[in-house]
Amino acid sequence: MSNLTTFPNAPLPSDKELRARRNVVRQAWRFVVLNGKMLTMVTKGHH
Amino acid sequence: MARTVILGAGIAGHTAALHLRRMLPKAHDVVVVSPNSKWNWIPSNIWVGIGRMTPEQVTFPLAPIYRRKGIEFHQALATELHGDGSAELPRPHVTVRYTDPARQGQEARLEYDYLVNATGPKLNFGATPGLGPDGHSWSVCTAGHATDAARAFAQVVGRLEAGDHQTLLIGMGHGTCTCQGAAFEYTFNAEHELTKAGVRDRAEVIYITNEVQLGDFGMDSMNFGTKRGIVPSHVFAESLFQERGVKAIMGAHVERVEPGVVHYELLDGTKGQQPFDFAMLLPPFRGADLKAFDREGADITSEVFAPSGFMKVDADYTPKPYEEWRASDWPRTYRSLRYDNVWAAGIAFAPPHPMSRPRTTPNGTAIAPAPPRTGMPSGVIGRAVAQTIAERVRHGAAGKVHTASMAEMGAACIASAGAGWLDGKAAAMTVFPIVPDPEKYGDAGRDTKETFGEIGLSAHWMKAMLHYLFLYKAKARPLWFLIPE
Repeated sequence: MSNLTTFPNAPLPSDKELRARRNVVRQAWRFVVLNGKMLTMVTKGHH
Repeated sequence: MARTVILGAGIAGHTAALHLRRMLPKAHDVVVVSPNSKWNWIPSNIWVGIGRMTPEQVTFPLAPIYRRKGIEFHQALATELHGDGSAELPRPHVTVRYTDPARQGQEARLEYDYLVNATGPKLNFGATPGLGPDGHSWSVCTAGHATDAARAFAQVVGRLEAGDHQTLLIGMGHGTCTCQGAAFEYTFNAEHELTKAGVRDRAEVIYITNEVQLGDFGMDSMNFGTKRGIVPSHVFAESLFQERGVKAIMGAHVERVEPGVVHYELLDGTKGQQPFDFAMLLPPFRGADLKAFDREGADITSEVFAPSGFMKVDADYTPKPYEEWRASDWPRTYRSLRYDNVWAAGIAFAPPHPMSRPRTTPNGTAIAPAPPRTGMPSGVIGRAVAQTIAERVRHGAAGKVHTASMAEMGAACIASAGAGWLDGKAAAMTVFPIVPDPEKYGDAGRDTKETFGEIGLSAHWMKAMLHYLFLYKAKARPLWFLIPE
């Protein structure tokens, strides 16, 4: 018996989502947003 | 004049040394003891392990940096801690054995006023027979290991290109491993490279893990806040596995590794075997096996260190069931339980308990992911300890004690899922706080506004940016201290 697990019920990204993940302009914006979020979190954790 | 000795030059130790040197006048000594001559940005070892980076891109020699900053450096391994001094040498000291070629094997005693134990983990390949580069699997825990893994990975790609089928097994080499994130990253980077090489259809990529569900990461899973509501990290991870066609062996303890086959036990007690052509399996960690002695020379290692070899600090180590674990059990100051002038930073401190629920199989085998202490908390703890010591040097016992509880700080993890400036991909994940605190944040355990996950090219850019940023910081280039840990 195989113990290998697959995840057929996992939600897969739509074509639109996959394109968004690769779109350079959108990702440049997300890069700024991610940096902002992380900086906020880092600042919160420093005592 | 105060003399601070820092054992270890990893993220915690190096951060503590640089900050302490910056904060204290030159009249005070800052001394670093590390068996390694080079600093290693370990998160990028993943890229070395698939042949995307060279070891030189993720390491640099420590001695020139320390010379420039006025930090005394001993390339040596600390073996004994004499925190009360000894009959021959009354001041607190550590015994070290040199590893640099000029003094290889020589021993010395280094006195201190303050000591930071930042010895990091001992890679415990011995816990699983056949595990590791001296056995039958590869590792990316050091730049050297990653280089060897890249060579083996290139051979796999070569065989696939020749038309062979190959099975790649990546994951955790023991039931008590941590660093699932690193194995996760290596899995998807390898998969990405196979796709780029046009050989993915002939390769089976399998992830083997001690996690009971994907996305646990040794942190009892996470709940990501999104515009569409809460998304559990297992859904996030399973989606990526399904999208990329990676299969998993869940809740597994690797019993032994033989040439081309792994033997494992699952949570329900069943045993299995998984043949492989290439295996990258991470080892469990333990403390650096530093021995402690009192003034009379009696061995007090069990008083100073936990059985795991990590140093006991200001945590609540009372054994209690999972349901009674509290965020407040976790240490805040990292000061040794026994010594008032000794701290443990980064991986070197003994956690009070795991974060994920520990489980055992019907055969009594522990399958319990150990709690992660990644670069970010290690750096923050190293800095807080340095600040506390600087305060003590300046103001004595009245100096401010700085805290850095993992139950009050967040962490960012950028899990690379493929390198490439335009076709790269990574999962950016943040958690706040690292240690779940249901009393404060309810069933979600964490702040769902600060805990989020996102997959995309931008996360790969972040991972690459952090690589260059932290190398810059570690080299103590101008204004390095403005870069947060």
